[in-house]
Amino acid sequence: MSESAKVVPIRRGRRSPSKPEAERLREQVGHLEDQLRRLEARRGAADREGLMVALARLFQEGLRGLRWETVARAWAAAYFSWHSEEVDDFGFDRKFTETLRPMFEFLYTVWWRVEANGLEQVPGRGAGLIVANHSGVLPYDGLMINVAVRHEHPARRDCRMLALDMFALLPFLAPMLQKSGAVRANQENGERLLRKGELVGVFPEGVKGVGKRFKDRYKLARFGRGGFVRLALRTGAPIVPCAVVGAEEIHPLLAKADILGRPLGFPYFPITPTFPLLGPLGFIPLPSKWSLDFADPLPMEGYGPDAAEDPILVNRLSEQVRGTIQKMIDGRLARRRSIWFG
Amino acid sequence: MSRIAVTGTGSFLGGRLLRRLAEHEPERIVAVDVSAPPPALGVGYRPLDLTEPASDEALLHVFREERVDTLVHFAFLTNPRRDTSFAHELESIGTLSLMAAAAAAGLKRVVMRSFTAVYGARGQNPNFLTEARPLQPNAALSWVRDKLEAEQHAASFARRYPELSVTVLRFAPLFGPELRTFYTRVFDKRLVPMLMGFDPLVQLLHPDDALEAALRALERDVRGAVNIVPRAPIPLGALLHLAEKVPLPVPHPLAYAACEALWAAGVTEAPGGFLDYVRYQFVADGAHAERELGFRARYSSRDALMAYLRYRHPDSASLREATV
Repeated sequence: MSESAKVVPIRRGRRSPSKPEAERLREQVGHLEDQLRRLEARRGAADREGLMVALARLFQEGLRGLRWETVARAWAAAYFSWHSEEVDDFGFDRKFTETLRPMFEFLYTVWWRVEANGLEQVPGRGAGLIVANHSGVLPYDGLMINVAVRHEHPARRDCRMLALDMFALLPFLAPMLQKSGAVRANQENGERLLRKGELVGVFPEGVKGVGKRFKDRYKLARFGRGGFVRLALRTGAPIVPCAVVGAEEIHPLLAKADILGRPLGFPYFPITPTFPLLGPLGFIPLPSKWSLDFADPLPMEGYGPDAAEDPILVNRLSEQVRGTIQKMIDGRLARRRSIWFG
Repeated sequence: MSRIAVTGTGSFLGGRLLRRLAEHEPERIVAVDVSAPPPALGVGYRPLDLTEPASDEALLHVFREERVDTLVHFAFLTNPRRDTSFAHELESIGTLSLMAAAAAAGLKRVVMRSFTAVYGARGQNPNFLTEARPLQPNAALSWVRDKLEAEQHAASFARRYPELSVTVLRFAPLFGPELRTFYTRVFDKRLVPMLMGFDPLVQLLHPDDALEAALRALERDVRGAVNIVPRAPIPLGALLHLAEKVPLPVPHPLAYAACEALWAAGVTEAPGGFLDYVRYQFVADGAHAERELGFRARYSSRDALMAYLRYRHPDSASLREATV
């Protein structure tokens, strides 16, 4: 106690003469801190500022001579503007899908006026395997099934499409498919998604379907080797057959030039009335009227654990699904009066 | 007393593993490397060059004299060498010598490092590669060919000597503080070239997770290959975004040619064959490690990148973290 009593006056004695200087220093520190905070805020704002601000800056500077920094910032903002860093294990990027949604919805409601029937057959929760016919040169049919389930099904589910290797290898298309939730079609990927309880879409015709000549339209090709049935049997996911009508007419495939396709990594080079004749305009799909019909789900329980290894059973189920889809297509075609108006 | 021999103690991961092993019983550890470990660790040291022609016999001596019963083989090159014959002698032939000596000396256990890159980046890969997947790397790339051969030598000895338990740890590409490799140096520049129209998922493994997995593998007796991967993969583009890079997309036919030419000219650090790994996916599945080793990564790929960025650019990364 006596010690502290001694110490206190000494400290007071040392402190009092430098008091004005301490005040001055404190003021200086406060000033510098303010400045630092302002700089950091500006820096943080520059990090967060979106594409529009970066472009505005670019435009503003364009008149006076561009600086590398502004161009680099605008370019990086433009490049990364659609992507997010948050993706699932398969690369599904919700932000990317949200960005493209207006375009998908335009295609769905205005361009192809898609009519979805029987969506209530798609399970609202848990695993399910939508099996559909494939057509249209580019995988728009998968996209439209996706939009239908996402927007018209009461559970608003995401349908994960199993995409052909051919599409999953093409530059630009590959990352687009991945970010919109598609994965490469193989047993491992399908099984993993179904076991997670996801809704999965598959086109068993594969390249034979999507690259069908116009004269063969709506005649279902062989359903692969029944891989989709084995997938369903192994995971117990019900199969929901789906018939897509209208997609055959979006890019009528008149001929296939294999010699041109091979070097580009495409199994065939499509020749349609508009491509390659009209150049990039040939990529615009024709506005046919579409319908999606979903049939009653085929339950896969009760077949036993080894059913997936029984080729006869697998083939029988595969043919059953194929027959169901062909019947739905034929019925829809019989009722259709116009390709363009349904 | 059983003793552990560790190779590749001069490497990033091998050196750190040696330090972790030396924390408890340094007298049980023998470093076998061309360069001596820090004396302060108190571990044994036997200078030995795996690229020497008679290294198998010398190794056998070391194993017998030091009464080694466990070998930890981490002598692998992360950066591609222009001197491909040196890399081949060290990795492929070096592993062959080590396995021969281990079998002859009657060792009980070998834990060897490998790379998920040995699966090969292929368009046909499933999204998650399991250990059962056949290894099909790009045969033109000698860097990965040597790793594949090392694994094949290890597997063949494991088959012939059932009493020898061999674990191969296939680590995803390491990324983290203090690590300097040809692919981390890409992140030192503002402008980063990338393949136009490709954005595969990649895995970046934090070195702390890699060490944790290696220590667990030493504790348990697991045979065969085990993938050691981070918690979640991340798209390559997102890495560049997080690191605030300016992407420079290059069409892939041009990129392969340019990369090969620049490597031949001595300008860049890696040959064109590595571009496969930024074009296609080689994401490995960590379920086997979780089941057999009880190992689950603490860090995601994103965490590993952020840890590296904080280490390289302390101010910028912290700001970025604050704004996310």
